[in-house]
Amino acid sequence: MTRAGKATAARPLAGEPRAGGLASLRAALSAEWTKLTTLPGTGWLLLALVVATAGLSVLADAATSCSSGSCQADPARVSLTGIYLGQAIVVSFAVAAMTSEYSTGMIRVTFAAMPRRTAVLAAKAAVVTGPVVAAGAVAVLGSVLAGRLILPGHGFTAARGYLPLDLADEPVLRAAAGSVLYLALVGLLSLGVAALVRDTALAAGLVLGLLYIVPIVAAVLGSSQLARHLQQLAPMTAGLAIQATTSLRSQPISPWAGIGVLAAWAAAALATGGIRVRRRDA
Amino acid sequence: MSEATIEVTGLRKRFGPVLALDGMSFMVTPGQVTGFIGPNGAGKSTTMRVILGLDAAEAGSALIGGRRYQSLRHPLTEVGSLLDAAALQPSRTARNHLLWLARSQGLGRRRVDEVIGQAGLEQAAGRKAGGFSLGMRQRLGIAAALLGEPRVLMLDEPFNGMDPEGIVWMRGFLRSLAAQGRAVLVSSHLMSELQGTAEHLIIVGRGQVIADTSTPALLAAASGDRVSLRTTATASATAVLTEAGGSVTSAGLAALSVTGLDAEKIVTLLSGQGVPFSEISAHRASLEEAYLELTRDAVEYRAADAAEEARR
Amino acid sequence: MSAHVITESRPGQRNGRDGFRQLLSAEWTKLATVRGWVIGIVLAPFLIVGIALLNHSTCGGITTPGGPATTAAGCPAPPSGPGGEAVSDSFYFVRQPLGGDGSITVRMTSLTAGPGPAGLSPWSKAGIIITASTRPGSAYAAMMVTGGHGVRMQYDYTGDIAGPARGASPASPRWLRLTRSGDTITGATSADGVRWTTVGTTRLAGLPATVQAGMFATAPASSQTRAQTVSGASSAGAAALAAASFDHVSLAGPRPAGAWAGDAVGGASPDAGFRQAGGTITVTGTGDIGPYVPGASGSPGSTIGSTLLGAVLALIAAAVVATMFMTSEYRRGLIRLTFAASPDRGRVLAAKVVVVGAVTFIAGLAGAIVAVQLGERLLRSNGNFILPASTLSNLRVVAGTAALLAVASVLAVALGSILRRSAGAVTVVVALITLPYLLALTALRGGAADWLLRLTPAAAFAIQQTTPQYPQVSAAYTVSNGYFPLAPWAGFAVLCGYTAVALALAVFLIRRRDA
Repeated sequence: MTRAGKATAARPLAGEPRAGGLASLRAALSAEWTKLTTLPGTGWLLLALVVATAGLSVLADAATSCSSGSCQADPARVSLTGIYLGQAIVVSFAVAAMTSEYSTGMIRVTFAAMPRRTAVLAAKAAVVTGPVVAAGAVAVLGSVLAGRLILPGHGFTAARGYLPLDLADEPVLRAAAGSVLYLALVGLLSLGVAALVRDTALAAGLVLGLLYIVPIVAAVLGSSQLARHLQQLAPMTAGLAIQATTSLRSQPISPWAGIGVLAAWAAAALATGGIRVRRRDA
Repeated sequence: MSEATIEVTGLRKRFGPVLALDGMSFMVTPGQVTGFIGPNGAGKSTTMRVILGLDAAEAGSALIGGRRYQSLRHPLTEVGSLLDAAALQPSRTARNHLLWLARSQGLGRRRVDEVIGQAGLEQAAGRKAGGFSLGMRQRLGIAAALLGEPRVLMLDEPFNGMDPEGIVWMRGFLRSLAAQGRAVLVSSHLMSELQGTAEHLIIVGRGQVIADTSTPALLAAASGDRVSLRTTATASATAVLTEAGGSVTSAGLAALSVTGLDAEKIVTLLSGQGVPFSEISAHRASLEEAYLELTRDAVEYRAADAAEEARR
Repeated sequence: MSAHVITESRPGQRNGRDGFRQLLSAEWTKLATVRGWVIGIVLAPFLIVGIALLNHSTCGGITTPGGPATTAAGCPAPPSGPGGEAVSDSFYFVRQPLGGDGSITVRMTSLTAGPGPAGLSPWSKAGIIITASTRPGSAYAAMMVTGGHGVRMQYDYTGDIAGPARGASPASPRWLRLTRSGDTITGATSADGVRWTTVGTTRLAGLPATVQAGMFATAPASSQTRAQTVSGASSAGAAALAAASFDHVSLAGPRPAGAWAGDAVGGASPDAGFRQAGGTITVTGTGDIGPYVPGASGSPGSTIGSTLLGAVLALIAAAVVATMFMTSEYRRGLIRLTFAASPDRGRVLAAKVVVVGAVTFIAGLAGAIVAVQLGERLLRSNGNFILPASTLSNLRVVAGTAALLAVASVLAVALGSILRRSAGAVTVVVALITLPYLLALTALRGGAADWLLRLTPAAAFAIQQTTPQYPQVSAAYTVSNGYFPLAPWAGFAVLCGYTAVALALAVFLIRRRDA
C-alpha cells in the first residue's frame, strides 16, 4: 500500500519484524497460555487423554496371549496400543483450540491485539503441544508400566526371551518417547488443518479420516505394492512405526523415518494453515 | 501530525460482487469525538477492519500516527477497538477474557482490574461471558478497548442494545475520553445516538465519504431552519416575506412555512407591515434530518415507505 | 386508505401430522440450502466408489505387508455345490459304481498324516462316500473319521453331524457304513462291526440311479501353516496329506462288486493315490470336502463386501455433515429461532434425524450399488472371482451398508445435540465406529478384537459379511478376511442400540436445557 505525495513524512516503522519479533512472540505465548488455562474444558480433555490411552493399553495387554511357540506380538507395541484412542482426543483438543476462535468471532479480537499472525499461530502451536506432551508422557508411562506388570502373565515370559518392559532398554525407550512425540505431531497436524479450514467439524473429520481410514483401506487393499506405499506415506501408519521394537524389517518403514513422515505432514499442514491465516481476512 | 491521528486514503475493497469500499478517505483528529455515520452497508465496519489490519484492502492506505497497524508493537496500547461485543468464548469469565488480552500486550492483572472498574463491571467480572446481557457485553468490549490506555479508540456501533441509562453513560464517557486528548471514532447508523456527543461527523454511503464536517457546520448547511407561522392573512404575509428574501410555502389552511429568514426578522417584518399572526416558532433542523437528506441517495437497503405511498 | 383487519381464526387448524410434515420440510430446506453440506453428502457415494476402484488385488494377492508381489494370472472360481454355494471338493477317491439301492461298509484301521512335513491336521478326513458323480460339486454323503474331531457324517458340503468322538487305529478300528435307499442315505458307525449306531440320515434330492461309492481320504492345509506362508502362492507344495487304511471292504448293490478305480477328484496331487494289498486298501489324499471359505488354507476369493470398504470413509463424511447440521444451530443462538418456530423440541430433533438419515441412506445406497457393480467388474478383470451369495445376501450387504451410514449419521446428530460441540461429536462417532474396526484389523488380535467388534458400534460392519463361518472348516476367521464375530443383523443392532440410547438422552436433554 503506497501513499502518493502526502505532506507528512511517515515515521519509520516501529517494530521491524525481526527486532520486535521475539517480544511479540513472548506476549503471544503469554496470551495464548492464558486462553488455554482459563477454559474449564482443558483440564478434563487432558485427563481424558491419559485415561483413554492408559485404559486401552491395559485392555490390549489383558487381551494378548501367546499361542504355543513364539509370541507373534511386539510387547512394547501392544502396551502402547492406547495411542490409537489418545490421538483422537489430541485431535479434538488441537482443532478446537484454533476453530473456537473462528466460531465465536474472537479471531478478530486476537488479531487486533496481535497483528503478527504467524507469531500467534506459533504461540498456539507451542501452547497446544506443551500440555499434549505432558499428558501424553503420563499416559505413555502409565501404559508402559501396565505392560510391564501385565504382559509377563500373558505369555511374554523370560522363557520365551521376553524381559519385562523396561525404559532402560533403548528400543522400549524409543517406542515410549516416540509415542509422546507422535501425539505432539498429531496435535500440530490438527492445528494446521484447523487453521486451514476454520470449521471444527470439518477439521476434525479431515484429520481423523486421514489418520484412521488410510490404514484400514491399506490393510484390505489387495495389491501389496499400493498397500505398502500407502503405509509408508500415511501419517498414522508411518508415525506409529516408532513403536516397533521387534521384527523391524517387516515394518513398512523404519521408526525414525516414519516419525519424519508424520513430521512432514504436520509441517505441511501448519505451513498451508499459516499461509491462509496470513493472507485471508480474519 | 499527532500520533493519535487516523488517516485513511483511497481505500477500495470488494467482497465478491459487492463493492464495499470505493475510495474511502478521511482523517480523524484527537481531542474530539468523531461520528462515523452511514446507512447499513455503507462500509463503516469494513473500514474499521481495514484500519485494524484484519481485512486487506485492494487499494489505498490506512495509517495511525503515520504508521500501519501491523507495525505497531503493542497495538492495543495505541489503538483500542470494539468491533463485535459478542466475540467472546462463552465459557470463559469476563475477567479472564480481559486477562489474556492484557497479557498479549505485556500488561498485568492490575490493569485488568482498573478497566473493570472503569466500565462498571465489578459485579459481573467473575461470571462466564456466555451469560452476559447485551449491555454487559458492550461494557466488556469497552473495557477491552481501554486496556492499553490507547490514544486512539474505534468503536463500531457501541450504542447497540444499550438501555437509556447506558446510552447516557456511554455519551459522557466518550466525551471525557476525547477531552483527554484521544481520537475517538464512533460509528453508528442512528443519528440520534450521536447527537450531542460527536463534534465532528464523517458521513459515508456506498463505500464513499459523503460529508466530512463539524456538526454545527452540517446543521447550518442543512436545509432546515424553518419557521412555522400561523396567520389568517396568508397572502399578505407571503408577499412581505418573499420580498424580504425568504421562501414561503403553505403548510395548511392558515399556516405558512418560511425558510431563509430567522424568526426575529420575520416578526419585525410582519409587525412593520401590520400583518397579523398568531403563532411563530423556529424549527431547527435536527441532525437526523440533515443526515437523511444527505444520504437519501446512498441508502442501500430501503424498506417500502408506506407513509410516502399513502401521501401520493 | 383501508386498514386490514386481522382475521380472528385461521382456516384449517393444523393437526399433528401436518405439523410434522412442515417440520420435515423446514429441516430439509435447512439441509439442502447449505452448499457445503450438500457437497459433503454427495461426496459420500463418490468415496465408496473411489475406494472400490482402488482395489488392485490380483488373485492370490492378499499378502502380508512387506511380502513380494504375486504374479498369479488369475484364479479359477471354485465349483458350486447343490445349494449354490462355493465349495471345496478335492480328495482321492477309490470308487465303484453303485447302480441302485445298496450299502458300502468298511473297517478303518488307521488314519495318519501322509509323507511330508505337515502333521495330521485336525480336519483331515477319511472314510466312505457316496456321491452323485466325480464332478467337483456333486451331491454326496460321507461317513468319516477325522484327525481331531472324531467320527462324523457330512453331506452336501455344509451338512455336518457329529458321531462318537473316536479315532481309528490298528488297536481300535472303526467300522463305517453308508446305506443308500433311493434318495436317502443313512450313515452308521460301529466299534466291532456287530452293533451299529446310526449317526444320521440325509436326503440328496435328484440323486441319479447310478452313483459312485467308495473310500476317500483328504486333508486340508492347516491355517497355521498358511499364516506362516508369506508368499501368496498356493500352498500346494506344503499341502497336508492324510493316509487311511481300510479293510473288510464290502459293497452291496444290485450288481456284484467289481474292481476299485482310483480318482483324484478336484485336481491331482503327486503324493495322492491308493494301494491295494490283499484285502487292505490304503488311500492317501489331500484337499477338502466342504464349503469354500476364503482365507482358509490360502484360499483366495473376494466377496461383495470387499468392494464396499470405502463405506468407512463415507461414514466419516456423513458424520461430519450430520454433526454440523446439528451444532450449527447452537451458533449465534439459531436454536432459539428454531424452537420459536416449532416449540415441540422432541419433534424438531426427530425431524432432523429423519431428514439426515434419509438423505444419507439414499446417498449411501447409490454409492454402494455403483461401487458393487464397478468393483466386481474390476476384481473379475484382475483374475479374482466373486464368491456366489444369495440375492437376499447381496441385497442385505448393499442396503445394510447404506443403513449403516444412515444410522451413524443419526448417532452424530444425537451426539451433536448432547455435546453441543462439533469436535466432540465427530471424534466420538469416529472413535466408536471406526477405531474398533481399525484396531481389529491391525493392532489387536483374537479375543480382544472380537470383544471390541461385539460391544462397540463397529459391530455394525458385520452387515457386510456374506460368507458364514463354518465350524467344520478351520480358517483364519479374522476381520481382514471379512469375518465378524456377530451375525450381520445382530451387529447392526448393536449400532442401533447405541444410537437409540444417544437419541433418548438427546431428547431428554434438549427438553430440559435452556435453548
